[in-house]
Amino acid sequence: MVPGSLADTGAAPVLLDAEPATDLLIRLEKIHVSYELADGACKKVLDGIDLDIRRGEFVSVIGRTGCGKSTLLRLVLGAERPTEGRVLADGREVVRPDRDRGYVPQKYSLFPDKTVIDNITFGPEVEEFSLLTRFTPLFYRRRKEFRAEAMRQLRRMGLHGSDAKKYPDQLSGGMQQRVAIAQALVMKPKILLMDEAFSALDPGTRTGMQKLIRQVWRETNTTVLFVTHNIAEAIQLGTRVVVLAKDGAESSGSKVALDLRVPDRAEEFAEIAERVEAATGHSHLDEEE
Amino acid sequence: MSVLSISVRPNRMTCWVLSWFLFAAGICLYLYTAQKRHKENPDDRVVPTLAQLGAGIYQAAMNPDADEEPAADSAGQSALERFRNGMLWKDTVASARRFLYGLALLFPAVLLGLHMGIFPYFGVFFLRFILFFDKIIALSVLPILFIAFGIDELSKVMLIVIGVTPTIILDTFNLTKSVPPEQVVKGFTLGARDFDVAYRVVLKQIWPRVLNSIRLNLKPLMLFLFAGEMIASTDGLAYRIALLRRHMGMNIIIPYVLWVALLLFLVDLTMRLLNKRLHPWFREA
Ligand SMILES: Nc1ncnc2c1ncn2[C@@H]1O[C@H](COP(=O)(O)OP(=O)(O)OP(=O)(O)O)[C@@H](O)[C@H]1O
Ligand SMILES: [Mg+2]
Repeated sequence: MVPGSLADTGAAPVLLDAEPATDLLIRLEKIHVSYELADGACKKVLDGIDLDIRRGEFVSVIGRTGCGKSTLLRLVLGAERPTEGRVLADGREVVRPDRDRGYVPQKYSLFPDKTVIDNITFGPEVEEFSLLTRFTPLFYRRRKEFRAEAMRQLRRMGLHGSDAKKYPDQLSGGMQQRVAIAQALVMKPKILLMDEAFSALDPGTRTGMQKLIRQVWRETNTTVLFVTHNIAEAIQLGTRVVVLAKDGAESSGSKVALDLRVPDRAEEFAEIAERVEAATGHSHLDEEE
Repeated sequence: MSVLSISVRPNRMTCWVLSWFLFAAGICLYLYTAQKRHKENPDDRVVPTLAQLGAGIYQAAMNPDADEEPAADSAGQSALERFRNGMLWKDTVASARRFLYGLALLFPAVLLGLHMGIFPYFGVFFLRFILFFDKIIALSVLPILFIAFGIDELSKVMLIVIGVTPTIILDTFNLTKSVPPEQVVKGFTLGARDFDVAYRVVLKQIWPRVLNSIRLNLKPLMLFLFAGEMIASTDGLAYRIALLRRHMGMNIIIPYVLWVALLLFLVDLTMRLLNKRLHPWFREA
């Protein structure tokens, strides 16, 4: 497959409603990813993915374990390059992770050596001050402002001021993810990428976090790409659900098996859930639910 | 309740007694041997008595090296001055200086390991060579060092470089590699540049482990330092021990050995406490 040229960006099929092209934030073009295994064999993971993400969308990506959800997210991040095809963010090819795309992984989402407040101010600090300029008086003045902003984010995420001085391992899993979201949002990224960010949380905490992220998304107008293997979570949170699944032989890679806009009415959730479940090609997608 | 049970919990007193028992037994055995040997031969020098050890310590601490010119007015000196001119102090300073040189050379090693772990080009450039370098037995190149660098300080420092730095480089390299990739990606998404990620994300979080690794390598470092001093030196703790062997000066050798052990123990303890104090977030695996 020939990697798409810039010229066909505008002419690419629009998946859902026709909306102005400027709304386009992320575009995946004919993405193929395969890994070379130790025995020399080639393992296809993603096999021809085309996906457009528009500003303001909340896209849930769902699929069986091992179907390449995290790989897809890493491609959008720029932490990994596709074997074929390309990823565009705002029309420019993504080659490495940068401050435009925030990241909240499932594990290791915070810097263990920094306190909560330092974790949140890390981004603004490091962006404005290099290793050398951090020792100037201006740095200390700006740091006060960074901290004030960090405290605002912290409160918004439902944490207390007294948590600011704690280290990540002194926080519960839910609180850690709250801090991680604050840490990413403080950079005002164009898109927030979350990889099973709530999967390690207990059900009660998880529900709370789902409410929180939905609220944050609405208030800040960010775009969210949310990877999960929980169908209910995907449908309740997303404005759109993308299902990744293999369409045949076990050796083939995953394709977009379903790409649905989720209506606001909760009555239709059950029907959508059925379609999603069917599309994943597995009646029991999730072992834990 | 049996001694060979996994689930027993000895109480505090028992713990205290048990943990000091071997020390006490060792001292008793020593004193008994000394006393027995002195009964047979009052001039025995192999196992000195407490009194002889005391005299030896005093002599080492308060008197200058016998080979040196005695200071003109040694009688008029205060105890502190005499101690500072004494053999023990001078030897300790000489060895400590080399020790610090060696220690200082470990920091470039840490940076090299860090860069090798983070920057792929650095990694491929150095890794194979350092893996090989690591297998060289430092003592086996000692003659080469003496020929190449002479028998002065440089060759002793080079001995430490060859002996210890490859371990530190490889340790730091592995520690760097063990940082979850999420952390590096996270750094970039927060606007960090490559060097920010290297120093402020990765080095910062492996630093306590690096210090631990350095701490564990202090013993090899001392080993190479002592080897160098014993073979070619005119001062230093190991030089003294080697020299006194010729005179069977056990009454000074034994205090020297214990002194070195004590110093190393204190350095180790200080580093451990500092590590804990400076990195409250650090949990030893
Ligand atoms: N570096 C790699 N080398 C070889 N295979 C890889 C590599 N990274 C991922 N894979 C394979 O790619 C497939 C997709 O991995 P990925 O982590 O994207 O799945 P996932 O959908 O996120 O799964 P999960 O739900 O378990 O997180 C897996 O089968 C995995 O074994
Ligand atoms: Mg995954």
